[in-house]
Amino acid sequence: MVGTPVLFIAIPLLAAFLIPLTGMVWKESVRIIPGLILAYLLVLAINLLSYVTVNGPIVEVIAGWAPPIGINLVFNAFSGFLVTIMVFMGLLVWLYSYRFKSNVEYEAARKYFLLLMMLVTGSVGIVLTGDIFNMFVFIEITGISGYALTAFYTGRDSAEASFKYLIMGSIASVFLLLAIMIIYSQLGTLNMADVASKMHLMDPKYKAVSFILFVIALGIEAEVFPLNGWAPDAYAEAPGPVGAAFSGIVVKAAVYALIRYTYTIFDLSGAFDLLIIVGLMTLVIAEVAAIRQEKLKRMLAYSSIGQMGLVFVSFGIGTKEGVFAALFIMLNHAIIKPLLFFSGSYLVYHSKKKTISDVDGMGKLAPFTSLLFALGAFSIVGLPPFAGFWSKLSFLMAAADSNMLLIIGLILTVSVVELVYYMRVVNRIFFFKRASHLLARRPTFNAYIVMSVLAVLILVIGFYPDSVSTYLHNAANSLFDKSQYIHSVLTATIQ
Amino acid sequence: MKKILVLLLLAVVGFYTAETFFDIGFGKAPFVKSSEIKPVKDVYLHQTVQELKVANAVTSIVVNFRGFDTLGEVTVLFLSVTALGSILYKKRHHVGERSVLFSASSIVTSGSKLLFPAIVLLGAYVFIHGHLSPGGGFQGGVIIATGFLLMLLAYENYSVSHKGLAIVESLAGITFAGVGLLGFMNGGTFLQNFLATGTLNDLFSGGIIPIIYIAVGFKVAAELTGVIYTVLNEKGEQHG
Repeated sequence: MVGTPVLFIAIPLLAAFLIPLTGMVWKESVRIIPGLILAYLLVLAINLLSYVTVNGPIVEVIAGWAPPIGINLVFNAFSGFLVTIMVFMGLLVWLYSYRFKSNVEYEAARKYFLLLMMLVTGSVGIVLTGDIFNMFVFIEITGISGYALTAFYTGRDSAEASFKYLIMGSIASVFLLLAIMIIYSQLGTLNMADVASKMHLMDPKYKAVSFILFVIALGIEAEVFPLNGWAPDAYAEAPGPVGAAFSGIVVKAAVYALIRYTYTIFDLSGAFDLLIIVGLMTLVIAEVAAIRQEKLKRMLAYSSIGQMGLVFVSFGIGTKEGVFAALFIMLNHAIIKPLLFFSGSYLVYHSKKKTISDVDGMGKLAPFTSLLFALGAFSIVGLPPFAGFWSKLSFLMAAADSNMLLIIGLILTVSVVELVYYMRVVNRIFFFKRASHLLARRPTFNAYIVMSVLAVLILVIGFYPDSVSTYLHNAANSLFDKSQYIHSVLTATIQ
Repeated sequence: MKKILVLLLLAVVGFYTAETFFDIGFGKAPFVKSSEIKPVKDVYLHQTVQELKVANAVTSIVVNFRGFDTLGEVTVLFLSVTALGSILYKKRHHVGERSVLFSASSIVTSGSKLLFPAIVLLGAYVFIHGHLSPGGGFQGGVIIATGFLLMLLAYENYSVSHKGLAIVESLAGITFAGVGLLGFMNGGTFLQNFLATGTLNDLFSGGIIPIIYIAVGFKVAAELTGVIYTVLNEKGEQHG
């Protein structure tokens, strides 16, 4: 083994405390160090993921107290898969925004890269931890970085969006803490595996109350309807790369948390139906809202919420195929949505209002960016041969296997809506006459690299879906194998 | 209609939550009576004295058993301070003056001069004795920050070096994470105790617990002083 999961937390934290000092000596280091750390973590994640595929889950004990006494981290096929995506996306967002605020003073850059690194660390922590209170701490870390990045050195509107996010996030934290308190008061333990193995002893009423509190709290973070009021504003008003980081990293962590609670910790029978209902509501309302948006980024934000709804429906199917499809959608969404955010924010870069009509005729002015945006749009609506097609197909197959024909019908109808609003934008980009006199903004060199990498990934997954399906299958199996999760955690020793 | 629906929904959730918490009470034993339930608190209380030789069980839980959470909480504070600076940035550009401009009376100025060392001493006492008596790094740090608040209120031109605060903050954070990593290299797991635990009730006991708590004390003191200073004195980081 090349390292252990705790390094995903310890190294970035150490670096976060070091950066103010190195910045006093060498100013450029505040930009470079976070990138180096993220690159190192990506290497670590890939190594550990291949180790886990062969040797089974790694359970890391912290402070020398074996579970359930101490806190532990679990790196298995499921969490490892998500960690790899998150760190990879974190690295891309870092690369994309490397020149961010290079013209203003050093303080802004230091804070931006610090907060970005902690946003990734917090999300990775949520996924890795095996302890319900520790998860709360990481949700706080992610949340505070998120609030700050939303309002980062921009105007009034983003401060308002950030404030909304802050209020909603704080409510989520309170509910989460209440839910944790109920569980601890009943079972006397905070370790996820230990809680899961004793859950049957808990009074059903308390179980239901704490589950509902968990769903409300994590639903706010995972942008589930009707708790997602903060999300469109935060996406639309935050700086471009931050919106991409939210959709590629933070939401994934929140979805993971909710799924971990429904699948592993609670054994409530109605929980899967709840996921389907909540997911469908989120999907339908978000897609209908998206078609009415005038601002490009807001439209992308609603589309992002809609995709999360689809993920929840897919998890709610409750079969291995359903989980496979949900993970596939999450992977694709993590690749495609940042591409749309990156290219989209260049398409409306010089416009004040950032409306969809501002992209008219951009295809001639900025052919490469427009092409990438179109590629992302085609992929996310699920046209073959792009990546999004396979995830939607696997979802429909999973739903068909479980005889959920009504859901299939509804999803296909909603997909048409999705197709309409994306094609409307693509149509405007390529076939409309340029009305405004705004010039196109040339992407920076780094942005070219990042967008090309994402585009290549979309094509690779589109043509060779088998290249990722083994990892997805392993991840789905590991989520389903509850008894193995509990066993591996509770028998963990200090290595 | 929509509002009534929302209120009804909230009332239902609120009712069941409140009912649950009335039943649970505070500090009562778990309702579930089963031999399978082995609350971790029993282990904590036992091992605090037996193995860690720490007199204050709260400290041993905060710094050792759940030290990873504390590292996270310290980071949350660190991030909040960073975030505050980035959000108050705009305002600082326009306003270059302290918002409190009138001078305090001589009773306040000389009184706070007298109190300041005592407050800092008390704060230091609280975090150095964190493993022996009630209190610890967070509490001690807050006490020290109140001392700085007093000085900032009493003297209109009192200033704290922002660079100095940043250095203290960083060094304390590095100490915490570094001690954790040392445990990783020596004992095998992150934040594991690798020093001799000494005898119960001694000042030098508890292994790495006092070291971490002193670092937390410095960090909290520096961060909260920074927050007060940023909010009070909007010139802030421009020359820092």
